[in-house]
Amino acid sequence: MLQFLVRRLIGAVVIMFLIGAFTFFLFYTVPQDFAQLSCGKNCSPENIAVIRENLGLDKPITTQFWEFMRGIVAGRDFAVGHCSAPCLGQSFDTGDFVWDSIMDRFPLTLSLTVGSLVIFLVIGLGSGMLAAWKRGTVVDKAVSGASMVLSSFQIYFLGPIVLGIFVYSTGWMDNPKYVPFLESPIDWAVALLIPWAVMATIFTAQYTRMSRSTMIEQLQEEHVRTARAKGMPQRYVFFRYAWRGSLAPIVTILGMDLSGLLAGGVVTEFTFDLAGIGRLAVDSSMSKDLPVTMGVMLFGAFFILLLNIVVDLAYAYIDPRVRLA
Amino acid sequence: MTTLTKTEDTPAPTGPEAFLSVRDLRVRFSTEDGIVNAVDGLSFDVERGKTLGIVGESGSGKSVTNLAVLGLHNPQSSKVEGDIILDGQNLTATSEKQMEKIRGNKAAMIFQDALTALSPYYTVGRQLSEPFRKHTGASRKEAKARAVEMLTKVGIPQANMRFDDYPHQFSGGMRQRVMIAMALMCDPELLIADEPTTALDVTVQAQILDLLKDLQQEFGSAIIFITHDLGVIANMADDLLVMYAGRAVERGSVREVLRAPEHPYTWGLLSSMPRLGGDINEALLPIPGSPPSLLNPPSGCAFHPRCAFTDKVSGSLCSGERPSLGDGRASACHLTPEQKQTIFIDHIKPRLG
Amino acid sequence: MNPIRSRSARAIVIAAAAGSLALTGCSSNDSGKDAKDQSKSKQDAASQSKPVVYGDAGASTGPAAEVPGAKPGGTINIYTQSDLSHMDPGQIYVSDAGQFANLVHRKLTNYQEDDKGNLTVVGDIATDAGKSSNDGKTWTYTLKDGIKDEDGNAITSADVRHTIERQYSKVIFDGPSFVQTWLSGSDYRKALPDGPYKGKHLPDSVLSTPDAKTVVFNFDKPRPDLPQALSMAGYAIVPEKADTKEKYDKAPKSLGPYKIAEHKPGKSLKLVKNTNWDAKTDAVRHQYVDGYDFTTTIDQPSQTKRLIADQGEAKNAMQFTDSVDPAQTSTVIGDAAVNKRTIKGYQPYVWQMSFNLDRLKDKKVRDAITYAIPNQSMIQADGGKYGGELAGGLFAPTLPGFDATYDPFGKLKKPNGDPAKAKALLKEAGVAEGTKLTYAYSNTPRGQKQMVIIKDALAKIGFDVQAKEIDRATFYEQIGKIDNGFDLYMTGWGQDWASQSTVVTPVYDGTLVADGQPNYSHINDPQVNKLIEEALVLEPEAAAKKWEEAHKRIVEEINPAAPVYYSKQLQLFGSNIGGARYSTNSSYIDINRLYLIQP
Repeated sequence: MLQFLVRRLIGAVVIMFLIGAFTFFLFYTVPQDFAQLSCGKNCSPENIAVIRENLGLDKPITTQFWEFMRGIVAGRDFAVGHCSAPCLGQSFDTGDFVWDSIMDRFPLTLSLTVGSLVIFLVIGLGSGMLAAWKRGTVVDKAVSGASMVLSSFQIYFLGPIVLGIFVYSTGWMDNPKYVPFLESPIDWAVALLIPWAVMATIFTAQYTRMSRSTMIEQLQEEHVRTARAKGMPQRYVFFRYAWRGSLAPIVTILGMDLSGLLAGGVVTEFTFDLAGIGRLAVDSSMSKDLPVTMGVMLFGAFFILLLNIVVDLAYAYIDPRVRLA
Repeated sequence: MTTLTKTEDTPAPTGPEAFLSVRDLRVRFSTEDGIVNAVDGLSFDVERGKTLGIVGESGSGKSVTNLAVLGLHNPQSSKVEGDIILDGQNLTATSEKQMEKIRGNKAAMIFQDALTALSPYYTVGRQLSEPFRKHTGASRKEAKARAVEMLTKVGIPQANMRFDDYPHQFSGGMRQRVMIAMALMCDPELLIADEPTTALDVTVQAQILDLLKDLQQEFGSAIIFITHDLGVIANMADDLLVMYAGRAVERGSVREVLRAPEHPYTWGLLSSMPRLGGDINEALLPIPGSPPSLLNPPSGCAFHPRCAFTDKVSGSLCSGERPSLGDGRASACHLTPEQKQTIFIDHIKPRLG
Repeated sequence: MNPIRSRSARAIVIAAAAGSLALTGCSSNDSGKDAKDQSKSKQDAASQSKPVVYGDAGASTGPAAEVPGAKPGGTINIYTQSDLSHMDPGQIYVSDAGQFANLVHRKLTNYQEDDKGNLTVVGDIATDAGKSSNDGKTWTYTLKDGIKDEDGNAITSADVRHTIERQYSKVIFDGPSFVQTWLSGSDYRKALPDGPYKGKHLPDSVLSTPDAKTVVFNFDKPRPDLPQALSMAGYAIVPEKADTKEKYDKAPKSLGPYKIAEHKPGKSLKLVKNTNWDAKTDAVRHQYVDGYDFTTTIDQPSQTKRLIADQGEAKNAMQFTDSVDPAQTSTVIGDAAVNKRTIKGYQPYVWQMSFNLDRLKDKKVRDAITYAIPNQSMIQADGGKYGGELAGGLFAPTLPGFDATYDPFGKLKKPNGDPAKAKALLKEAGVAEGTKLTYAYSNTPRGQKQMVIIKDALAKIGFDVQAKEIDRATFYEQIGKIDNGFDLYMTGWGQDWASQSTVVTPVYDGTLVADGQPNYSHINDPQVNKLIEEALVLEPEAAAKKWEEAHKRIVEEINPAAPVYYSKQLQLFGSNIGGARYSTNSSYIDINRLYLIQP
């Protein structure tokens, strides 16, 4: 177990390094002058030289890469001050420390993720199980039908409709915004209710379908039949034997979805004018802001790798046949 | 002895000695392609302390019959008709709640493939203790003691240590023993063994069969032993039921059926089985054709498309009229008893060596 | 001002790409019913075109005249699609930060605007617009009493000197460089390499502070535009003690009516009242509302949608420097209740088809292309008549002396081009059918739509147009190279203040052709260069005549860029916002006089 963790974490660090290196050098193959890009209006050669020096672009590319990588571990000093580890560098565009920008955006992304996660897991898994339990009945057909329709929706389609109804035409609610949780948990929840609901609707539909189909699959497993043949009550068979087996595929998908959500829901953020990791990623890549783009990519990669490990651990917990290490 | 049956169409009253009596059992599944008559008017009896063997090809309705006895079919997609009388109680009219009390308790089942039939997610100890605690109200500790006892009895070494192991940590034979131990946890009076040894190698198979026999002697349980292996049946069963396309085609004591089989299908089964001491160069004779579709079964005798002896029956009786199965030692075939005897002695027996 | 080069503009372009897919079609159904609006723009243009007046001490004394009906209290919500590019005044050169600077920063001089949009340069922290002597080579400013920064520290002449001198250091690289260049030449950074940070200062012969209240600028030439240059946000005061160098960009000190309470980069900005601002010292600004809440993540379509809906907090909200989503223009104009809540006026940008004179050497060819361009269609691709207006020349309506009838290429009569005349010119020039032309365009929705129009129009007169798409973020970088390999490209440029000097000098002065410079056509005409040199030292009125001469020479005799259209501004604000009007100075909503109708 410990060995597994250590091995996987080392692997993750190596992969992060490779992603960092890949992004870095890929970006530098783009034939353009970053100093020019981050120059505002008064782009005299003198000003560009100043910018180049400020950004460290006058140094050889390998030195820049080394400084970037070292900064992650040991921190770096910039003109605006010390950037403590993990230092992902300084934005070419705004001059903010990348790590600070990410940390500034992350609470929103985390809030969107956690809020919608709770809703779609509870409702999605619940209704999927209900449909599987009541397989073939009106309830099953209603749930399956609704989830089929809803899962074909997209946030950029459903979002504006919900906004149009609850915000623009009736004024019942304000536009979504981020209120820090610690400031006021109630305001936090109220202000994010619309994006949660919209995100959760789409995810709920997917999880309903998935939970229903894996449950039905599991209910047909021989060991589930054995449990019934032993005289175990139906409910017990359903919730212990069948459900346990249905968890593995759900956990896999959930891991992927979660890492995607934590790396930033671009569409959600743009639909609701919110500033999370996703917007940071888009803005920075549009403005060729290399350090921010790299930082966001590494941040996203971190979650993907982290959740991979968590999913593997969860797998081992769910299914004793899976061996770690 | 067992098997006292009248025609299937008029079920005989249950004999006082029959522990399980099945009368005119019909199991139908509705599928997307139509209704499947998996079991179509089957009757049989099993006595305490005796073993009924059921043989037949895959899809002949053996397993379906026995799942029906325990009410394990999905009620939404299947329909079970007829009477299943277990110790005087008609199971087809018993509620799911009541059935839960019978399953694993009075009547238990051993499945074919313990690898898939045991849950991979829980320890064998838990899977064994669960039904015991549920049916007897025993404490966790008592249940563990009982489980260890049963595991020891079925021949699991160091059962105490293996209590917390998962099924995948056992070998195939050991796993099957666990399966048997699980079925025996509550001293079932009826044990249904659905091809319990098919997946095992021969030496393990013999051990398991001996085990079952020993256990039957000890507990006096009635056993239904399902297999497609006539060799195993000869060893295990007292009585034999041959099934084809959801119906019984021949019935009798094991001796009778194996020594003097009457139905062309039984002949086929016997001919297609290799024999010890037989000529290696002599080819086995598989039954031509394939099992019939239960969605659209053949008219008349369901076996007639594959039967080599239809020309011996006058007219188009084989394809036109379904032969009935008589009481007791009987076979459902339009051939006359004399024809059956002559054909078996002249054509079949020589081949069986 | 060059709108695209700036970061904020880049973000605008990006958001527009994400949000608006239907730029055309919005104007087709509003034609004809906006005669009034049109005339309103024209009237603004008229006042914008009057030469500015330099105000005396009386005009420079606070407080500013009350806005009728204004009430104190409440908070205005500001919607922008990206964060401010800079907050350190020295780095501010573009409009969004400029609007912000009007609330937070103070300068030596400022523009005062009357109800008709007439501009007067008044003293901001100085007692007047400045006193010139020595034939306009020396300018003296005296500071008002009671000017403090947000911490209550009094502002002295040393702070003014510090403000100018820090622009010589490497801390500052994004702001305007007019005053530094005038004081120390174009390689001004060498005059004071570390700025004031290592204790060195400019010699008194250049910049002196004889006492705590007096600052004297000494130039080698007359600099009649100095009061206007000093009114730029880029020259707003940075108190010496408060200066944190690079860090100042994130947390500048306020001298104006509002100060920064909280800034979350890329997300939000909260301004609250600066209690150390004294209305009696300020002839322009007001402090009616308690503060401003910026949300810097709302893209143009969302801003427009929210403000059209006018629900809840949107009633107290407004656009800052973004304009109405072109796709929703017709909704805004079509609904009288919404239309009432708009600001309309010219932006200072002239969109022009720049010719690379190194490649298109024959004026007849350039003229032919100019005749062929369907200006009207080009405007349709940029939001229709609320996005732009047909351009006859290269001077925007916001410049002094603008002549709406100036139309050497007959565009007013033939807004969709004159292909016949173009073809005749090409024949004269001996250009063969199927000659290749390389047209570079930015991959914005507008750029892509206009590319189709240009390709079509030039194909009609026999050119084989090779369209080269360029990433929006690097467009100006690529066409800014002298050896760019393109024949023609659309560019936009706007004035820094209401003087032609800030247009003709950067864009058409042949002595300034260099990589990365906005002389995109590489025009280098001795006569134009000479006129520029002469005009730069003249007082505004006299200069205007010289500039007009240069303008005519450029458009009619050289034609380095075909005038296409003047860009226009359409902004929306919530129903609870009072005092809103178009500002001739900023060409956006006038930020200094807003209040909430129901606070």
